[in-house]
Amino acid sequence: MKIAVNGVERVVEFEPDTPLLWVIRDELKLKGTKFGCGKGLCGACTVHLNGDPIRSCITPVSAVENQNITTIEGIGSEESPHPLQASWVEFNVPQCGYCQSGQLMSASALLAKNANPTDADIDSAMSGNACRCGTYPRIKAAIHHAAENLKDS
Amino acid sequence: MNDQSSHAKVSRRQFLKASATAGGGFSLSVFLPGCAVLGNKSLSDEGRWTANAWLEITPESEVVFTLDRVEMGQGTTTGLTTLVAEELNIAPDTVTVIYAPVANDYRNPEYGLQMTGGSNSLSTSWGQIREAAATVREMLMAAAAEVHQVPVKQCQAVDGVVLVEGSNKRLRYGELASLAASQSIPSNPRLKAASEFRFIGKQNKRVDIADKVNGRTEYGIDTEVPGMAYAVISRSPVLGGKVLTFDATKALDTKGVVAVFEVYNGIAVVAEQYWQARKAQQKLEIEWEEGPLATLSSDEMFQSFKKTALEDDGKRVRDDGDFDDAVDAAARVIEVEYQTPFLAHATLEPMNCVVEVNEDRANVWAPTQAPDLARIAVARVTDLSPDDVDVNVTAIGGGFGRRLTQDFIEEAAAVAVQAKRPIKLMWSREEDTQHDWYRPATYHKFKATFDKSGSVTGWDHQIVAPNLLDWYIRDAAPAQYPWAPKFMYGTLGSIGLAMQGIAVPKDETAIEGAVSMPYNIANIQVRHTHADIGVPVSFWRSVGHSQNAFYVESFIDELAHETSTDPVLFRQSLLKDQPRQSRVLELAAEQSGWGKPLPEGRFRGVAVHKSFKSYAAQVVELSVEDGAINVHRVVCAIDCGTVVNPDIVKAQMEGGIIFALTAALYGEISVKNGRVEQSNFDDYKLLRMNETPVIDVHIVESTESPTGVGEPGVPPLAPAVANAIFAATGNRLRSLPLRLT
Repeated sequence: MKIAVNGVERVVEFEPDTPLLWVIRDELKLKGTKFGCGKGLCGACTVHLNGDPIRSCITPVSAVENQNITTIEGIGSEESPHPLQASWVEFNVPQCGYCQSGQLMSASALLAKNANPTDADIDSAMSGNACRCGTYPRIKAAIHHAAENLKDS
Repeated sequence: MNDQSSHAKVSRRQFLKASATAGGGFSLSVFLPGCAVLGNKSLSDEGRWTANAWLEITPESEVVFTLDRVEMGQGTTTGLTTLVAEELNIAPDTVTVIYAPVANDYRNPEYGLQMTGGSNSLSTSWGQIREAAATVREMLMAAAAEVHQVPVKQCQAVDGVVLVEGSNKRLRYGELASLAASQSIPSNPRLKAASEFRFIGKQNKRVDIADKVNGRTEYGIDTEVPGMAYAVISRSPVLGGKVLTFDATKALDTKGVVAVFEVYNGIAVVAEQYWQARKAQQKLEIEWEEGPLATLSSDEMFQSFKKTALEDDGKRVRDDGDFDDAVDAAARVIEVEYQTPFLAHATLEPMNCVVEVNEDRANVWAPTQAPDLARIAVARVTDLSPDDVDVNVTAIGGGFGRRLTQDFIEEAAAVAVQAKRPIKLMWSREEDTQHDWYRPATYHKFKATFDKSGSVTGWDHQIVAPNLLDWYIRDAAPAQYPWAPKFMYGTLGSIGLAMQGIAVPKDETAIEGAVSMPYNIANIQVRHTHADIGVPVSFWRSVGHSQNAFYVESFIDELAHETSTDPVLFRQSLLKDQPRQSRVLELAAEQSGWGKPLPEGRFRGVAVHKSFKSYAAQVVELSVEDGAINVHRVVCAIDCGTVVNPDIVKAQMEGGIIFALTAALYGEISVKNGRVEQSNFDDYKLLRMNETPVIDVHIVESTESPTGVGEPGVPPLAPAVANAIFAATGNRLRSLPLRLT
């Protein structure tokens, strides 16, 4: 079965009901996408399917055949970070950091569709992503900041 | 603990040891003294030289700091590195941090165990790490003075270079390293005065987050080793139950399955892929022997606590004045009862561990807060001794006390032995919720007495709760008594300690924050009635304080209303001898606009609590609509002594408040027929962004030694919310979680 991950077409051999999460992590070795709940309740496993945020822990790999997946490794790098990643560092967002890939994937999908989100827009896009360390106030501030930066650039 | 006195017991020679490294660098080993609370008396007062923090300067001028604590997000890496950087006069982000391997040398001096918990990393290391780094700085300066043949006072160490005043002579730290190692260790290195600090109190950046926004940080769950298989375990649905019989035929027929076998607490399925293991697990047929907790329910448990409270007055842990006399003389006595449920930790990274067991050695990769206890966990289920076990502590996806318990490592080792290959054990969220070691459920009773004028004259507080160390000592004792053979591991708690002539360690976990009730009332008694229902319990962020603040700060609020006094003024009138408590209360009240009008439908509640040597006060602003509790704003004042990194202090208060609000509004693990009723984030909810209040943190300026910040933000929140709900509705909620419907 073929899937395109971060712009690269990959052939994977998995039983079709295997959640995409485990294919990404254990076969493609992209470990930035995390397991948190297995039921789409915490958002740690968020990736983009053709640009939309999905929960990879409840998405069977068969459902994404021949489609485009983006993971945290595909949105930016240390050398060339996504504006949200830069903003995350500036606001010291992460504590343990475990949920942050999922947070960034939800936030980047939001900004791609809405360059100027309000607090309510952010709440609505981000409330599926749980953070046990309690970094929500910083996430919200960092999203606003990145949106401002994108406007200026 | 008193840094100065414990310090004085160890001579300078024992405290520091300088040596040249093989590559021409300079390393300094440092003994960080402290006081032991878990019965280990060897660390601070035997005078034995022990290195448990290492600083190294390489010939290439790299400064390497070996950190003996784990990073769970609490900011220890940044905090302790900043101390090193300050005295070496270099930017914190130029220091290379290495996490310490498992070794007795790296034991936390306050516990005698290699453990990160109790919010004490800065308080135990503040003086010693700065002194170590200042020693290195002075030895580098002395080396430069020798090279240039100038008096040492003309040399200055700045940003990795030692300069000679009034000249352009300059040598990098690395160029001086090997000569520095041969200098005599200064007997009294000069620590920077607070006015000279460049980073302490000013550094706001974290040094550990670049990889956390790229997905590159490697947590335990990300570990892979060659030849590894994936393992899951079916555990008894009834707490404490055991396997009676099982049939693995169908599970073994599942694609990818390598083996199915019984381990000490369930049935393990090992497969080539994680999902294959999960699918096979569903096909297991297991009959359980449900054991003594098979009929336990939370309701029945609280009934039994109530009965115990009546039958057993408990141990008097504080007795000021005479409460019985206060009752005899009272014009009025009130009596109320409170209770709190079990809570799970719910770290976002579920329990997991990779283990490889060979004939004479085992390797563990795990997100653990206590690596030397991980060695014992492995030894317990293998033929190895703890010394044969290497533990690689990975990045940790949330700790909150959960990873002080090594059960998941013990399980993984037991599976690896039978699988005869390396395995990665992973828990599901449901397993994580249902097989945690919980914050204990507790039941409390209060009595207060009033005189004729209406003033409070007596306070009686009865705590019905288990002792956490009863559970923890099974893990911890063998680390402290390495002479003990393995068959004794289960009994070391009592027998082992007795054989060493040491009293069982004092366990404050049930009473902390209650026994130290700060209010000046003439007759105070605090009693602990021990009650342990057999459900595994452990440390949960802020431990006993997390509940006892709710009890004490709710009941003191009741007394304020009973005496028709403003809750802030009432507390202040009884805190005259407690200046730091009084100051944070004043600051939180002031910043929240306490006493000033609020928009229609908004109400305030307040609480103040000391924990982990820090003082925190919070004012909550909320509204109640159709029984729904909406918390809009939390104002927090914190006094944690000298602040090393103000933004981390703020982040820990924000995080503590959100963690505590989750518990106050939603947190409940309930038991029915011996089974935990909750399973995932749909029925064990975490607070979400849209429910998160505005949080304002105000830090008290202080020159006292730094104290904890990871936990002290938690305790005041629940009572402040409950007190605001009382202000809003007149309903006094005496149990958690707080529910109006």
